[in-house]
Amino acid sequence: MALTITCPICGKRNGYEFRFGGEEKGPRPAEHELNPETWCDYVHNNNCAAGVQNEWWFHRDGCGSWFTIFRNTLTNLEVDGPEETNE
Amino acid sequence: MNRFYQLPTLRIDPTRKKTFTYLGKTYQGVDGDTVAAALYANGIRIFARSLKYHRPRGLYSMDGECSNTCMEVDNIPNVRAENTLLKNGMTVKAQNVKGTPEKDFMGFMDKMSWAMPAGFYYNTMHKPASIWPIALKQIRKVAGLGKLAPDFEMTGKYDEIFPTADVCVIGGGPAGMNAALAAAENGLRVILLESRPWLGGFFEYRAAQYQNETPLFQRARDLAKQVADTPDIRTFTHTAMVGAYNNNLITAFQTGGADDSFDQRYIEIRAQSVVVATGCIERPLLFENNEKPGIMQIACAHRLARTYGLLPGEKAVFSIGHDLGLEAAIDLFDLGLKISCVADIREDGQDPDLVEIMRRKKIPLLRGWVATDAHGKKTLNKVTLSTLQGTRDKEFACDLLVASAGMTPVTGPLAVAQAELCFDNHTGFFLPANLPVKMHAAGRMLGLNDALAIEASGRSAGLLAAADCGSSVDTSLNEARADLENLPGPVKGSKMVTAPVKGDKTFICFDEDTTVKNIKQAIKKGFDVAELIKRFTSASTGPGQGGIPGHNLPLFVAQYNADPDVSAKPTTIRPPLVPTFIATYAGANHDMCKRTPLDALQKKAGGVFRRIGVWSRARYFSQDFTCRDEIENVRNNVGLFDASTLGKFRIWGPDALKALQRVYVGDMSKIADGKIKYSAMCNEDACIIDDGVVIKRGENDYYFTTSTARAGAAVEWIRYHTRYDGWNFNMVNLTDALGVINLAGPNARKVLAKVTDADISNDAFPYAGYREFKIKDTIPVRVMRLGFVGELSYELHTPSSYMPALWEILEDAGSEFGIRNFGLEAQNVLRMEKCHLIIGAESEQRTTLHDVGLGFLWDRTKTDTKTVGAFALKQTEKQDGRLKLVGFKMENSDARAPRDGSIIVDSKIRGYVCIARNSHTLNEVVGLALVDESLAETGTKLEIYEDECGDERLYAVVALTPFYDPDAKRLKM
Repeated sequence: MALTITCPICGKRNGYEFRFGGEEKGPRPAEHELNPETWCDYVHNNNCAAGVQNEWWFHRDGCGSWFTIFRNTLTNLEVDGPEETNE
Repeated sequence: MNRFYQLPTLRIDPTRKKTFTYLGKTYQGVDGDTVAAALYANGIRIFARSLKYHRPRGLYSMDGECSNTCMEVDNIPNVRAENTLLKNGMTVKAQNVKGTPEKDFMGFMDKMSWAMPAGFYYNTMHKPASIWPIALKQIRKVAGLGKLAPDFEMTGKYDEIFPTADVCVIGGGPAGMNAALAAAENGLRVILLESRPWLGGFFEYRAAQYQNETPLFQRARDLAKQVADTPDIRTFTHTAMVGAYNNNLITAFQTGGADDSFDQRYIEIRAQSVVVATGCIERPLLFENNEKPGIMQIACAHRLARTYGLLPGEKAVFSIGHDLGLEAAIDLFDLGLKISCVADIREDGQDPDLVEIMRRKKIPLLRGWVATDAHGKKTLNKVTLSTLQGTRDKEFACDLLVASAGMTPVTGPLAVAQAELCFDNHTGFFLPANLPVKMHAAGRMLGLNDALAIEASGRSAGLLAAADCGSSVDTSLNEARADLENLPGPVKGSKMVTAPVKGDKTFICFDEDTTVKNIKQAIKKGFDVAELIKRFTSASTGPGQGGIPGHNLPLFVAQYNADPDVSAKPTTIRPPLVPTFIATYAGANHDMCKRTPLDALQKKAGGVFRRIGVWSRARYFSQDFTCRDEIENVRNNVGLFDASTLGKFRIWGPDALKALQRVYVGDMSKIADGKIKYSAMCNEDACIIDDGVVIKRGENDYYFTTSTARAGAAVEWIRYHTRYDGWNFNMVNLTDALGVINLAGPNARKVLAKVTDADISNDAFPYAGYREFKIKDTIPVRVMRLGFVGELSYELHTPSSYMPALWEILEDAGSEFGIRNFGLEAQNVLRMEKCHLIIGAESEQRTTLHDVGLGFLWDRTKTDTKTVGAFALKQTEKQDGRLKLVGFKMENSDARAPRDGSIIVDSKIRGYVCIARNSHTLNEVVGLALVDESLAETGTKLEIYEDECGDERLYAVVALTPFYDPDAKRLKM
């Protein structure tokens, strides 16, 4: 895997060490706010951005923490922030 | 054949002979020979027959760029004989040959080429469609490369390594070595890859002068020594780079030498910055019969003499387009080769010094001439040369034709790294126009030819790479650039694509037998882009990966189209750049598994082990795989089970309870002291993913278990679902730190009482209780009264290091009752009789908590905890059309048990059997199945279809559960 990911605790590491945790969608909604549509949006519906997206990763073979990074899905490279186009 | 044994450039050790067999006969080579060089030394000229036309093929490039010298070596087909070092005892065979390479019964195919125009198969073999399977069989008999025996098994040692480096330099020639040295000077860690078994590139075999009377080969050795003396440079020789991916991930494979612990190993390098300095290969000269044995490229002829001590022929003609050809002619002339004529495609622009030497040595030079035809029945005996326009020609008898149109860069590494390559008119090269981030190109591949310029270019690329890694290199980089500016720049390349010939037997791709005529046919059919012509004619799709046609094909297409708006574009190149064994990618293929602390004891006790998930576990303790004795002993007496694979976790801290509430469907605030709480975890869709018990060991301090399969994911799961909350809790996975023994059976209490002073009477330690005490005053145990197998049982958790001792103590204490091991299969039957579930066996991805009848575990009042799956539990609770878990018995009491996974049918598939066994305890077949709601009523008849059962069906009836001890008295004894 060519991807590298920067763990906030362990630093830049090989992508093999991490597990993907989906797009960043904000905190869990409270149960009483949910209806089937909003629940589905939160759990299953993704933006699948072609470009930079903010997403969760888990350092499975490392410190065991969840954190977010920005990744350009077109180049499959981690980028510094939401604006970066990595050109 | 006489060999030179005194040349200073040799890479062979003539004193160390190596014996090998070729086509059943024994031959000798010497240490350092490649298979191809050893065969050549023994007079072998025809190495193989070609794919379609069975034309004889011989040594051509010396770097394995085409299938000409692909051979079967030690039963492995398609081995590149030019890149494979000879070993004692090797067995070598020629490929695609009926008979011998010299006398191939399929040789007549060459005369049939008129019948096989480009796209022949596409155009003819589908009318009618039924012809293809028949044609396919016949074609496979005559065409193709090596054959793999059906019973062939790959042997050898394969390894893999994953090194990191600051700078990775691809190519160990003069530019690459300078780049590596420059980067290492800046304190960086460098990896240097070289495809040949030694460093030196195109300096390495040349006797021409470098500077101050130093020959080039000496310079190469000096540089190689500097590299070897630099500890920060890790050199991999005999290592072919095969892929480049983003973030500068470079893959390669290395062929092991005599002293290495591997035959081949896969290398995956992560580098901050990459320098590509792969140099050039020669662009094949296109003329009639341009691949007849006896025709070879400049470096091939030159290296045969200089590296392997073999004079490539007796009487030679040269048809070249580069000064290296003149230099080789002079050098080989000095070594004793008779040269009839040197034809240079270039009308002017030759190095005047070389021309002067040739004049002095009386080597005839024809400028503006080129080879147009090669003659000879199987190997070369005559060459026709003509002017570039084809107006005049001459014939020369010879046994060697050194033919090369010019140089072409090895752009494969750049191409797979997605660099943009553009045709450059001056050099005639495809040059990198847009390199990926932190990748640099250097040396001869940029068109440089001057030795000092190549080195300066390497140095400057090495410094740029150092700058990528944060080194401050401004001063030295400016110096290197200034050096480079004052040295000769890229040289003008020869433009000729084909000699003035019709092209019927002018091979543009040797691997696929594609001629210039075939390319013209494709263009006439309307294919105008090299990429499409490649596919239609299969040119450059062979094992050489475009090494031979890679440059000529796009040039020819551009020239033939004569469209000034269409510039030549290289065809797409993909990894692996050179043929690589799957075995090399597979690596050492070690089967890794976890073993429980009782592994040795259970093996000694006769355990039959199976891989189950990540674990190796004792599944049976006898060859009776129904486990009758093991089961009956638990039901009637007492048994011991190693449950160490259970997931075991501690979670503690002020917010630990909140985290448990988030993931468990039950209300975890209601865990009583000294009691266990059984609960389950669901995913967001309400599907059950885990079950286990939770114990409160202290204030904000909990101990919980998960199923074996979930042990690896539990921490991740809990942290994921609390990731926004910022809660203060800690978690530690104790799965491997603690082992578990399940002591089960009606006599379990008697056994335990013998080894502890703790009061374990039914009143003091009832069912679902939790206690901590010591065994024999020494071994600390956490004990849970559970009943997974449906009997009185104690689950003892203890540090792994105590496990063997605890096991032996219990065995010893239980010997008077006839205590014995039971394995995983016995447990599986025991718990199934009691209808206790294993998540994953009686559930699948879409099975909810309600479906398996565990809905009672869900506490619907704790809505403020945002419990994972709670919302979906509400939605799915009353949902129609779900598969429900039911128990069943067979309709006929003497029917056998259906196989696990058999489907339940009526007119449609209505579910499947999760598990079914012939229960010795109940004396009938019982099982669990997930079935459509409409079939879930007790008493419903189930029709069971087994794989390949034909019309036969098994019939079962939905039965009340649990089958065994429905009143749950035995657990509470």
